[in-house]
Amino acid sequence: MTDCPNGLMRDQLPEYVHGVLSAADAARVAAHLEECGDCRDEVALLETVRADAEGRTPHINVAAIVSALPRPSAVTGRPASGRIRSTRAWQFAAAATLVLAVGSSVLWQRSPEGATQRVADSSQVLPTPASTAPVATAAEQVAPTEGMMFGGGLSDLSLNDLESLLGQMDSVRTLPSSQPESMTPVIAVKDGGKAL
Amino acid sequence: MDNPTRDDGAAADEALIARWQGGDQRAATELVGRHAQALARFAVSHGVRDEVEELVQDTFVRAFNSLQSFRADSSLRTWLFTILKRLVLDRQRAERRQRNKVELDEGHAIDEFDALDGMVADEALVRVRQATARLSPMQRDVFALRVNEGLPYAEIARVVESTEGACRVHYHNAMRAIKEYMTDD
Repeated sequence: MTDCPNGLMRDQLPEYVHGVLSAADAARVAAHLEECGDCRDEVALLETVRADAEGRTPHINVAAIVSALPRPSAVTGRPASGRIRSTRAWQFAAAATLVLAVGSSVLWQRSPEGATQRVADSSQVLPTPASTAPVATAAEQVAPTEGMMFGGGLSDLSLNDLESLLGQMDSVRTLPSSQPESMTPVIAVKDGGKAL
Repeated sequence: MDNPTRDDGAAADEALIARWQGGDQRAATELVGRHAQALARFAVSHGVRDEVEELVQDTFVRAFNSLQSFRADSSLRTWLFTILKRLVLDRQRAERRQRNKVELDEGHAIDEFDALDGMVADEALVRVRQATARLSPMQRDVFALRVNEGLPYAEIARVVESTEGACRVHYHNAMRAIKEYMTDD
């Protein structure tokens, strides 16, 4: 087995075998092969080596490899589309529960006259008029006076609203009381009424 | 050299990387599917027999963990080959330490291939394997990447950390050595 003196042509034979030459280069090599026995022998050798390599290589299970790869969000720091990071999921759930409780409580308390009387319960975080401050609950004293108003249910809130609410919740550093609060409902009357 | 086919492959890889970074996990499947077998072939050409799939998996895990730092100045495939080669060398060093042996010499490599040759019926194939096994590690790497994968010298040079001209010389020396071995009695 001898070498063809055309080194430039021999250099291209592996790429010719792989079919990665441009059309023009491939045509030139093909024309050369018709008249060069040395290069034909070399192409045959290249094909033998390549086929042997493929035959000796085990089939790789792509799915098994993919399952071991990191998630895109873990590497890039961005959440994968359509997914909520699990570390925040419980906070969304807590926020949704709170919104449902407050929303349904407010709706239930609304009277036909225009909702001038409200019944406060332990979960209420709405600000209370000054006249009823002495009987306000602990939650009322801690709650900020703006940005926590809710008038509807969960369905009225978008995901952005929920996230905004979550951010506000993070800024309210309340600790649960070691003593359970009284289960007796407190009635707060807006215009100088008595608290029971 | 004008090479639209290879350029298309690199562009497709870049698009898949962007999709994966945007959260599309299916892009990872396509990326692995495009390169896994080539990596496995390269591992086998290094004499890796067992745990080829594990090596390929480790290569992809490392690559995907570092995709943010991947620069498109070389192809993804070249980068993957580079990672795999380092893993193979690390593994071989660890195995040598474990066995408390000195570095594998040519004789050991030939012995490994001889053991497999006994199962091969094709005499020509036996000769090709024996001839390939006699190549130096550098010649074997260059020859494998050129013949089995069709990589250009520029990309091979990145994988084996050499120059394009040196790789061309290694390839032609390897080819000459194999031809001589094939024609010798």
